[in-house]
Amino acid sequence: MRPEPAQENDVELLKAIVARDEVALAQLYDRYRVILFGLLMRILNNREEAEDVLQEVFLQVWRKAEDFDEDRGRPFTWLVTLARSRGIDRLRTLGARERVAEASAREVPEEVSDAATDAFKSEQRGIVSDALAKLPDEQKRPLMLAYFDGLTQSEIATHLGAPLGTVKTRMRTGLIRLRELLAGQGESFGF
Amino acid sequence: MVHEDYKEMIPARALSALDAAEARVLNEHLENCAECRKELDEWEATAATLSLTADAAEPSPAVRERILSEIEKDISNAQVIPFRSTQRSIWTSFGSLGAMAAVVLLTALIVGLVVMWRENRAQQQTLAQMKEFMELVGTPGARVRELTGMDAAPGATAKLAYDKTGHAMLMANKLPKLPSGKAYQLWFIVGKNPPMPGKTFVPNASGQSMSKDQMPKEALDAGVFAVTVEPESGSAAPTSPIYLRSSEIN
Repeated sequence: MRPEPAQENDVELLKAIVARDEVALAQLYDRYRVILFGLLMRILNNREEAEDVLQEVFLQVWRKAEDFDEDRGRPFTWLVTLARSRGIDRLRTLGARERVAEASAREVPEEVSDAATDAFKSEQRGIVSDALAKLPDEQKRPLMLAYFDGLTQSEIATHLGAPLGTVKTRMRTGLIRLRELLAGQGESFGF
Repeated sequence: MVHEDYKEMIPARALSALDAAEARVLNEHLENCAECRKELDEWEATAATLSLTADAAEPSPAVRERILSEIEKDISNAQVIPFRSTQRSIWTSFGSLGAMAAVVLLTALIVGLVVMWRENRAQQQTLAQMKEFMELVGTPGARVRELTGMDAAPGATAKLAYDKTGHAMLMANKLPKLPSGKAYQLWFIVGKNPPMPGKTFVPNASGQSMSKDQMPKEALDAGVFAVTVEPESGSAAPTSPIYLRSSEIN
């Protein structure tokens, strides 16, 4: 599949970062700060902690950019996965899982703000939100609790008062359905 | 377990939602199955789109400044002459002494290294870390726990110091070299509860590491502390054998 121009550019930025190019890191930060900070705010619900983790993420990008493997996926996926992982780690360190799990009932926001400098325009946010909205709540909730609150399937089963086997099935079915819904947008989403 | 069983677990793995035992089993399979690794990459791409449902938010400009400032320090340090044998002797000595003996030894070493301090910024950093470690040890109510190497890391040692607020520092020595993409991770184990994850850390080329952590409040009662090898981003539950472990305190 032909990569999008932004993706192609992101790969070049990461290569430049490997070569110790500070300006490239600043450019990558400017491109992704809004989406990654939004993700971290959603996970941590605390501006100070989210900013601290955002800083950790980009320092890790600076120090470990060579770990990015173009053959395994897009820079977007790598950066988001990195930020989400560190955000969940911080959440657990703060011992705030139960509190945030309660907050997770907010589900998908009704509206998402547009950020002109962001790597992903509101159109793509809208596509994902629309796709998610088509999932039954029983499939969507396990996905959101896992992704934004870092809960395991057993913890989700306890949280929702549902059998573990049911949660496993719903989570798997939900993610498969989400991929199917987004597949029509393959050029935009890279799969 | 057959190949299809593993494949069924991959979507949940992409959300890091597998329970520890399942994650361990799947991770072992992934090491030997390129097809499943590729499938995991694809599911992770799907999972990553969920991030787009979070509201966009703008961090303060200070974050950008802090990142660039840290990078400048990295670049400066990279231009400094690397450590030689002096550093190794500090760490090796520390691993075999108790907390009080370590205070005496470190004080002597710090005095002996004052001249070199001016010559090597990297040494300055290590000395500052050791000073910070000893200050933490000296805090009223602070505890120091010794961790010893298990079968996966014979000869490795570590000391974990932490105060009543959970501010912790782990000083480790003789840790085995990590595979690419892996890091060591500290765990806090309270009673029979699942281990609580601490931060990840990567030792230097000599297997030495000094890392800081903020322990969760519940971890202050931990009877056991352990270190495993995990993906660099860390794990929610241990996925490798224990490399370092403290004795148990009831």
